[in-house]
Amino acid sequence: MEYLVVFLVLVVFLQTRITNLQRAVICLASQSFIIAIACFVLGLSSGNGIHALLPGVLTLVVKVLFIPGAIYRLVGKLKNEREILSASNVNYSTTAAALFLVLGYVIVERLLPGSAGRDIIAASILMIMTGLSLMVLRKRAIIQIVGLITLENGIYLLGLLMTEGLPLVVELGVFLDVLIAVVVLVILTSRMRLSFMTTDTSVMKKLKG
Amino acid sequence: MDFLLISLLIYLLGTLTIVFPKRIELAAHYLGMLCAVLASGMVAYSSLNYLMNPVDGWLLEASWGSYSLQADAWSAAFLLLTGAAGAMTSIYAIDYGKSYKGNRIRLLSGLWNLFLLSIVAVLLSGDAFTFIVAWELMALVSFLLVNHEAGKKKTVSAAYQYMVMTHIGTAAIMVAFFLIGSSSGSFSFGDMANNELSGFMKNVAFICAFLGFALKSGLMPLHIWLPNAHPAAPSHVSALMSGVMLKVALYGFGRFAFQFIGMDIFWHGLIVMLVGLVSAFLGVLYATMEVDMKRILAYSSVENMGIIFAAFGCGMVMYSMNMTVVCVVAFTAALVHAFSHSLMKGLLFMSAGAVMHSVGSKNIELMGGLIKKMPYTALFTLIGSMALSSLPFTSGLVGEWLTLQSFATLAQQAGTPELRLLVIFAFIMLGLTGATALGCFVRLYGTAFLGRARTNIVDKAHEMPVFMLLGMGLEAVLIVAIGLMPDALVNMVQQVFAGIAAVSIGTPLGLIWGGSGRYALYSPGIIFAVFALIALFVFVAVYRSVSFAGKESTGSLVRRDVTWNCGTIPTSRQQYSATGFSKPLRRAFDGILSPRRSLTYLRKEHAYYGRKLKYELEIPDIFNDRLYKPIQQLMINSSSAFHKIQEGSVRLYIGYTMVAMIVVLIWGVLL
Repeated sequence: MEYLVVFLVLVVFLQTRITNLQRAVICLASQSFIIAIACFVLGLSSGNGIHALLPGVLTLVVKVLFIPGAIYRLVGKLKNEREILSASNVNYSTTAAALFLVLGYVIVERLLPGSAGRDIIAASILMIMTGLSLMVLRKRAIIQIVGLITLENGIYLLGLLMTEGLPLVVELGVFLDVLIAVVVLVILTSRMRLSFMTTDTSVMKKLKG
Repeated sequence: MDFLLISLLIYLLGTLTIVFPKRIELAAHYLGMLCAVLASGMVAYSSLNYLMNPVDGWLLEASWGSYSLQADAWSAAFLLLTGAAGAMTSIYAIDYGKSYKGNRIRLLSGLWNLFLLSIVAVLLSGDAFTFIVAWELMALVSFLLVNHEAGKKKTVSAAYQYMVMTHIGTAAIMVAFFLIGSSSGSFSFGDMANNELSGFMKNVAFICAFLGFALKSGLMPLHIWLPNAHPAAPSHVSALMSGVMLKVALYGFGRFAFQFIGMDIFWHGLIVMLVGLVSAFLGVLYATMEVDMKRILAYSSVENMGIIFAAFGCGMVMYSMNMTVVCVVAFTAALVHAFSHSLMKGLLFMSAGAVMHSVGSKNIELMGGLIKKMPYTALFTLIGSMALSSLPFTSGLVGEWLTLQSFATLAQQAGTPELRLLVIFAFIMLGLTGATALGCFVRLYGTAFLGRARTNIVDKAHEMPVFMLLGMGLEAVLIVAIGLMPDALVNMVQQVFAGIAAVSIGTPLGLIWGGSGRYALYSPGIIFAVFALIALFVFVAVYRSVSFAGKESTGSLVRRDVTWNCGTIPTSRQQYSATGFSKPLRRAFDGILSPRRSLTYLRKEHAYYGRKLKYELEIPDIFNDRLYKPIQQLMINSSSAFHKIQEGSVRLYIGYTMVAMIVVLIWGVLL
């Protein structure tokens, strides 16, 4: 598990530095892949039967294959789209992520001293906050979707660790929720590309009355 | 009494006319009005029966779950008022409402029933929840009725202004109920009467209750919605709103004063009294300045509610000074005037509707000489105007006379110079009010009905159909009947106060004013005799001079013509205009009214002839300028300050969420 956490932190830091949309999606897929492996590890260690494997399988199918696949196809249609921003914005994101990591460890130390999954909790707090900061700081719709899924992954990881397996209905609900949200977002983004010739969300300000 | 519950069902049946199919909309209207007349009649009958034959116990007591109905004598008095005014206005509306054919008439008659239902429900409610629900229903339905002619922009803005104001009032009332209810066993009125509220919170509860009910009854700083809502609403709705809904606010306030808060604190009564006096005077002053018939009547409602609350406040002051027997005079005055005001203001709004229906305008400057075209309406309006200017032989005098009596009683019994000074102030205010009211209604009646036609819109005027005349006529008859025989009403009203726990009176009928042995009532007989005597003198003098002049003129070349017209033929432009008539008053109270005059020369070739000019006069409402506009400005400023953090960018909002989350986490870590 510790290795997984190291990889996860690495991927999340990488996420904050990537400006190319395709690489961002690949990065997202690998991040979800690590979560899926974590699901298998936790599931096999605590549960048995189908319930132990199902979360991992679902994560693999939905978050590793379907969602990044859909976004990747969308990105393929976008020509000359790049997150055009100064290096300082990327640096802010990375610095913020570093601060969030520290914050995560401080929170675990203070609020849950001596808990077993110390590193995992810190990593999930890092993911939640980094996802939020990606949504806030970046302008491209694709990166914002990536931020949303990062946030979602963080919450999911935290939930997985804290509850050691949610009821099946809840898990299915969570996946359906994310799936629908991403489908809607992808459709909206592609509409946006058609209407505005860009996925820069700051052009949407024009729509305000 | 089961009658009341049945009448509620009939109102509900009448409300169902909303869903009738469109092709029988006129039938739906008739059915709805029939239901309203029937149910209102039943309400009036059962409450009159209860008041006439005082029995121990409730007029009605029922409960379903957490909702309960309960009616005592105080409710019964207002139920009688609602039933009587509702029945007569509904009769009027049978014909008046027909003019809304094709203009959502089903909605109008359905909501009319619902409005009456909600008023009756407010009066019947036996706990705070039922009261608030019914009160809110009343507010919403009356909003929809005011908004009925929603095609006009002015109507919509008036309706929304009313909605906002009335909800502020409801909020205040809810606070008062909550404060009292939370310090007593439950929210039923019976338990709330034994509340343990004291000190500061009691004062807060009183202020909130007074604020809420004063707003609904249109007392002066909070009256701002009233002169806008009444002209916007259909006339029968105005009649019901002004005649009944404003009185329901008095009912609620009375409920608070008698049962929940008590009247032990001197300054409570003093505030009510002073606000009432100021509203009475300023209301009638503004009424005299208006030229829109319904705005005149709306401001006159402010005046009359002012008089009613002044009398009520006087009663509260007397009660707080342990004059528990004589304070009944003041409460009787308030209730009697509430009765007569509901009759006369209902009548005048109906006749304003008739005039509008007939000439198509509300501006009295365009009318004149309507008495020849619509004689019956003119007669009824005259009676209503006389009552509103509190002339003898009408119900208007009964209430105002009792009000004056109660103030005199206060001065006589109080004994301290400060209170006597206060009473002198009250007398001055009431005197000014009475005189100005007389001028106001002379102006209204004289300009609209007497003289010559000012414009040709009067030409098409016609008399009203039978049900409209019937509705107005019944109210006029009642006004004169009460004016001639006030004893019956006053005795009945005094019985009401015998049943209210807080006011302890020994023998209400044996109430003798001031130890003089005279009953505190005016006697129409004596006034009638005096008037007859004066009339006789005038008649003899005129007859003699006429016959004298007649002898002189026989056989001579003297032509008999209108006096003082210097041989010219008078035209309608030589008449006093309504604006001109109120000019002296405008001059006298220039400081309060601060009129805005603007004079524009459209053509001016010579200093004295051949010029054309436009004169515009606007009387801004003093509270609108000094109180509401600053508040509005403050709200706009604070909103634009908030606008800085509410930019409409989703990313910004997510950022707020993130920052809030981080702050919470750090806080959690630090603690």
